[in-house]
Amino acid sequence: MTHLLDIRDLHLAFKGLSGLTEVLHGIDLSIAAGERVALVGESGSGKSVTARIVLGLLQEMRNARVTGRVAFDGADVMTMAQKDRAALRGTEMSMIFQDPTSSLNPTFTIGNQFAEVMRRRDPKLDQAACDARATEMLTEVSIPDPGRVLANYPFQLSGGMNQRVMIAMALVNNPKLLLADEPGTALDVSVQAQTLRLMHDLVEKHHTAVLFISHNLGVVREFADRVYVIYRGRIVETGPTDAIFHSPGHAYTRALMDAVPRITGAGLPAVPEVSDDFLAPMVRHDGGAS
Amino acid sequence: MSSVFRILLRRLAISVIVLIGVSMLIFAIARIIPGDPARIALGPNANADQIASLRTEMHLDEPIIAQYGYFVADVMRGNLGQSLYTNRPVTVDIAEFLPATLELVIFAGILMVGLGLPLGILAARHRGRWPDHLVRVGTLLTVSAPSFVWAVILMLLFAFYLPLFPVAGRLTDSYEIARVTGFLTVDTLLAGNFSAFVDALHHLVLPSIALALSGIGQAARLTRANMIETYDKPYIEMAQAFGFYPTRIARRYAFKPSLIPSLTIIGLDFAAMLGNAFLVEAVFAWPGLSRYGVAVILRKDLNAIMGTVLVIALTFLVVNILVDLLIAFLNPRIRHSTRASS
Ligand SMILES: Nc1ncnc2c1ncn2[C@@H]1O[C@H](COP(=O)(O)OP(=O)(O)OP(=O)(O)O)[C@@H](O)[C@H]1O
Ligand SMILES: [Mg+2]
Repeated sequence: MTHLLDIRDLHLAFKGLSGLTEVLHGIDLSIAAGERVALVGESGSGKSVTARIVLGLLQEMRNARVTGRVAFDGADVMTMAQKDRAALRGTEMSMIFQDPTSSLNPTFTIGNQFAEVMRRRDPKLDQAACDARATEMLTEVSIPDPGRVLANYPFQLSGGMNQRVMIAMALVNNPKLLLADEPGTALDVSVQAQTLRLMHDLVEKHHTAVLFISHNLGVVREFADRVYVIYRGRIVETGPTDAIFHSPGHAYTRALMDAVPRITGAGLPAVPEVSDDFLAPMVRHDGGAS
Repeated sequence: MSSVFRILLRRLAISVIVLIGVSMLIFAIARIIPGDPARIALGPNANADQIASLRTEMHLDEPIIAQYGYFVADVMRGNLGQSLYTNRPVTVDIAEFLPATLELVIFAGILMVGLGLPLGILAARHRGRWPDHLVRVGTLLTVSAPSFVWAVILMLLFAFYLPLFPVAGRLTDSYEIARVTGFLTVDTLLAGNFSAFVDALHHLVLPSIALALSGIGQAARLTRANMIETYDKPYIEMAQAFGFYPTRIARRYAFKPSLIPSLTIIGLDFAAMLGNAFLVEAVFAWPGLSRYGVAVILRKDLNAIMGTVLVIALTFLVVNILVDLLIAFLNPRIRHSTRASS
C-alpha cells in the first residue's frame, strides 16, 4: 500500500538554555490517501509539533533539530528546499486550528482571506472568481447567506461560524491532506460536535486524508478510521478505531479512555439552520401589553 | 449613523471645548504676567495720554471677563486683532509664518513614519539577530536626547565641521520665489524652478531630521514591540501554515493589526513635534512661527500671543482627529461597531 504521508523514525529536539530537550523519540505514522487518522495523547505529548513538522514549519525554526523521514505524496519533506515546502502548504496540505476566531486575521474580511488562500493555488484568480468559489465552499459547510459572511470580519461572526469558515478555507484548494489540530476545542461542545460531523462528511466527499489531533478519545471515535496513541513523544498504540475502543492494549490508552468526558460526539440532533417551527415562539404571552 | 461619523462628531465637540479652555487659560495668563502692553508697544517716549487712550482702545481698563467677551466676539468674526509688534493683523502674521513651521513638521512626520515603521518591522522580523540589535541600540540613542540637542549636534557635524548642508534659513537668498502657499517645496515647483526646489529640500534636511529623530526611534520601538506581540497570534501561525512568504506575512498579516495600537502614540508624537519645532527653529534660524511667538511673548503683544497659541492648539487637535479617523478606518471593529446605535 502506498501512503500519502509516511513518517519514519521521527526525532525532534529543542535547543534551549539547558541544552537539548528531546520531544519526539522516533515516531512512525502513516496515512493513506483519503484516510482519516487520529493522533491522540495528553497535553504536551507532541501532537502539535508532529503536525508542524509535516507542514515543514519546524524544520525552518532555528532552535529545533528534526531528524527522520517524512514523505508526502512521494516527495521527501525533510530534504526539499524551503521554497518547495512552502509551495505545498495551503495547496496540497492545509491546517485548521483550535480557536477559529483568533486564527482568522482580524483586519481582513472573510472574502479577502479566502481570495488570498485561493491565489496560493492560482495567482491569477480575480476577485469575482474567488468570491464565486468561496460562496460554493461556504454553502458546502452549511453557512446561510454566504454573500454576507464574505463581506464580514471574523469578529462579526460566531465562533461556530468562524470554525466552518476555517474548514471551508482549508478545503477550498482541494488539498490531499488536512491537518486538524484540536479543531474547535475552544467552542461549545455541541457546536464542536456539529462542525466535526460536517467536516467528516466533507472530507469523505472530497476524498481528503486527515490527520486529526485530539486529546479526547470520545471525539475521535466518530471521526477516525485509525488511531495512533502518543505518549511523551512515543507512539504507544495504534490500530483501527473500533479495535482500540474494544480492546485497548496499552495502560495509557485505557487511562485516556477513562478520562473521556461522557458528553461525546452526538450532542445535539442535526437541526436545519432555518425552519419555520424553529423560529416560532414556544411560549405565548396572552393579555399583556404588547 | 455611521460610527466613523459619530467618532468625528464627538472629537469635534471635544476639540471645541479644549479650544475654549486653552483660550481662557492663555488669555488669563497673558494678562497676569507683569508689564503694561500699551506702554511696551508705544515705547519709552510715549506720554501718559497716549498710553491711556491705547489702553481704552484695547479695553485694558475693563474687567478681564469683559475683555474675554470682546476677544471671543472678534474671533467669531475671524478677527484675531492687530499685532502691536508688527502693526499688522495677527491673521496676516500667522499666515506668513505658519507655513514654514508646518513644512518642517510635515517633513519630520514623513521621516518618522517612513523610517520608523520599516525599521520596527525589520527588527521584529529578525528578532534576536543583528538587525534587531542594531535597530534597538540605534533607536535607544535617538530617543534618549531631545530634538534641540540633536539639532545642535547635527548642525555642528554636518553644517559646520562637514559643510554638507546649510547652517540656517529655508532658501538661498539668490532665489526669488513667488509666494503662493508659503510651503517653499511647493512654491518652487509651482514657479517651475527646480534648482530652487532642490535648494529648499537641502535646507530642510538637517532641521527635519533633528526634529524627527526621537520620533523615528519611538515609532520603530513601538512597531517592533507590537509586531512581536502580533507574531505570537494564532492568525500568523495560520498564515504560515498556508504557506505565505515571510515578507508577505510581515507586511500584510502582521503589520496591519500591530499598526492600530501604535498609531495613537505615533499621532501624539507627531503633534508633539509642533512644540519641539520651536526649539529646532531657533537653532536653525528657521523663519517659522517660533520666532514670531517668542518675539510677541517678550513684547506682551496680547493679540499675537492668543493667535499663536490658538493656531498651535488647533493644529494639535486637527492632527489628533486625523489620527483617530485613520485608526477607525484601519480597525474594522471600530468602523463596523454600529450595532449598539442606529
Ligand atoms: N517552540 C518550542 N520550543 C521549545 N519547546 C517546545 C516548542 N514547541 C513545543 N515545545 C515542547 O514540545 C512538547 C510537545 O508540544 P506540543 O505542542 O506538540 O504538545 P501537544 O501534544 O500539542 O499538547 P496540547 O494538547 O497541549 O496542544 C512540549 O513539551 C512543549 O513544551
Ligand atoms: Mg497542541
